[in-house]
Amino acid sequence: MKNRIWSGMILVGLMGLHAADAPLCQAQGQMSTPEELVASYNSLADVILGAKKTERHLVLSILAVTYSQAEAALDRAKRNIQAGKDARSDIEGLAALVAQLGNEGDAAVAGIRKRLLEGGHHHNAAGEQQGIYEEGFVVVTRAAKKGFLARAAEIGKLAAAPDAGALSTQWKKVQAQYEKLAGVEAR
Amino acid sequence: MDLPNPSLAVVAALLVFFSGVSGAGGEVAEKRVPRFRFVDVAHDAGLTRVVHAGRPGKDHLLDSAGTGVAWLDFDKDGHLDAYIVNSWKMAEDRIVERGKNALYRNLGDGSFEDVTERSGTGGDGHWGCGVAVADYDADGWPDILVTNFGPNLLYRNRGDGSFENVAAQAGIEVPEWSTGAAFFDADGDGDLDLYIAGYIEATREEVLKARPTLDWKGVDKVAFGPFGLKGALDHFFLFDGTGSYAEFTAEAGLADRSRGFGFGVRTADLDADGDLDLYIANDSDANYFYRNEGGGTFQEVGLWTGAAFDVNGAAQAGMGVAVGDVDGDLNLDIVVTNFAEDFSTLYRSLGSGFFEDASAEAGVGGPSFPLLSWGASLADLDNDGDLDLTIANGHIYPQVDDHPQLSFSYRQPNLLLENIGSGRFIDVTDEAGPGFQLIEASRGLAAGDYDNDGDLDLLFSNLDEPPTLLRNESEKGSWLSLVLEIPPGRGPVIGTRVVVTAGGKRLIRDVASGGSYLSTHDHRLHFGLGSVGVVERIEITWPDGHRTVREEVAANQFLAISREP
Repeated sequence: MKNRIWSGMILVGLMGLHAADAPLCQAQGQMSTPEELVASYNSLADVILGAKKTERHLVLSILAVTYSQAEAALDRAKRNIQAGKDARSDIEGLAALVAQLGNEGDAAVAGIRKRLLEGGHHHNAAGEQQGIYEEGFVVVTRAAKKGFLARAAEIGKLAAAPDAGALSTQWKKVQAQYEKLAGVEAR
Repeated sequence: MDLPNPSLAVVAALLVFFSGVSGAGGEVAEKRVPRFRFVDVAHDAGLTRVVHAGRPGKDHLLDSAGTGVAWLDFDKDGHLDAYIVNSWKMAEDRIVERGKNALYRNLGDGSFEDVTERSGTGGDGHWGCGVAVADYDADGWPDILVTNFGPNLLYRNRGDGSFENVAAQAGIEVPEWSTGAAFFDADGDGDLDLYIAGYIEATREEVLKARPTLDWKGVDKVAFGPFGLKGALDHFFLFDGTGSYAEFTAEAGLADRSRGFGFGVRTADLDADGDLDLYIANDSDANYFYRNEGGGTFQEVGLWTGAAFDVNGAAQAGMGVAVGDVDGDLNLDIVVTNFAEDFSTLYRSLGSGFFEDASAEAGVGGPSFPLLSWGASLADLDNDGDLDLTIANGHIYPQVDDHPQLSFSYRQPNLLLENIGSGRFIDVTDEAGPGFQLIEASRGLAAGDYDNDGDLDLLFSNLDEPPTLLRNESEKGSWLSLVLEIPPGRGPVIGTRVVVTAGGKRLIRDVASGGSYLSTHDHRLHFGLGSVGVVERIEITWPDGHRTVREEVAANQFLAISREP
């Protein structure tokens, strides 16, 4: 509901910018959409497309922060393993973060994504139709999600028998998957 | 050949895929002699009250969510009684009748007496949803929690055949849309804590005024949601030892951060570390697997343990939950029922709290794919020593019947999948007797041996119809049923785990709360034993870790075992 109110306010504001010209346009004829409304719509399109771009940047930021947290968890886990200390919680934390990479954030982010879907917002509508993206996902494809989740499970299993080498092997796969996403983004 | 539309083409392709995967099971089926036979005896047994379900057009999701059922022995006479939750009958925005929940007392001769009025368990006019049974106050008598759209009811069993609603005093009314619930000792202090799932936030006015507005496959308008509606929060309560509960959801790490559309709830020791974990089936969201970290705190680990999504990493529309060891490795596996055009999911345990989606290879995916599924039971229905899977089905949109070209039906058959060993299932619904040929919009499902004849019977709730009670008349092997007891005040039975060794096989069962779809199975632990006449060993691990062992126990009996002091 708030989204609709906000959209309505933007629209009314944009229309207001051009309202003063209305009589002139009407005088020029009725055969085309009045220029001021076209201009308003164009401005609104800028807002909508800008918001979509902002959303993409925000999700990329979420992924970047999650990836950094995962790197830190990996370092902690390796240090603890090398020191002969308990690394279970670090490894499980790493597994959770890798899963969140696949899920484009944690459960709270999923809740927000659900809210956007409630409003009919599909960032990758065409990609969803083609089965490339899950509903509401912005950056992470279905294939990438599956890959991250598989890596997360493999990492999680290492918590019971910590092994720095095995952890590095799994992390390299995560790294490759993430860089692939980042590479696509860079292009 | 032209298929009618793209979605049907997808369905057809997936059915071919799944039938190919389960083809080996089909070959086995050709060689089998049907031995399952279930007969609906609900009417003759006296289970006749219609379970209302809103409006005929199911204008709001609440209209089609249905209700739970429970088996319990409320009067402790050794015969299972039945409790069936009810909701309202409506016409447009008018309430025609507030359905009454029903408590049916088992008379021990195959029939039931309606004791709802005398017992005071009719539901107080609320729109009922689910039911969970437990002796929450540890006085030796099973109590009944009814979750509602509106304030929940906690019927305390007075022990004289009557109940009193103490939900307000206990602090667990939660006047929202509550669904699945489970009692369990979350913090190991010897009493029963409580988890209650929430579905969506909705007001009574919204329900009354709802009309079908969601475009469905471009052919009709159906009830709106759940997308577009806000998820209701789940709640977790710690028992304070004096009869009241205190909410502890966030502190326990159980904050419903995605506001999942919660339905089925089951507690079980899913990572086999000695404490009870929580599993919640979320509709259209990742399922929650809350691992018990000790001391009453939990961590959601579903995303990285393989228990949240299907094999493709996709969230499904979780409805009901069943837990049991389907492949005989002594690890508890999970079945989650889902929406139509999606399969029910078998999360096979890999041990230590990790799971993999084995639905396709186990033969669960194919038969369940076209059906909209709810209640679920993993129970040994032919007493051959493995757990068979029963699934209650029925669509949520009655409008589907107006569009036969889409190959859906509102009323659907319930499904019986026989475990043919090692956790592989074949669909034996068609050969399971007249009871499984009934077509209803079923929801709740509870398994229990109501006639004490050594096999498990099945109780279903159906929308706008009386319940179905499928008496098990199958050919069966020998059996053992354990009635576990702990003296009042010495801790709950829920959470007890039993391993029976018989004929070289080891079978595991747990006393659980919650499960299925908003329902409660028989709390007695049933073991099918095949041709075994004497059980070699029974190992009971009580919730506090204490162990009891019995050896050389005769089969074909109900055996009461009480925890030693």
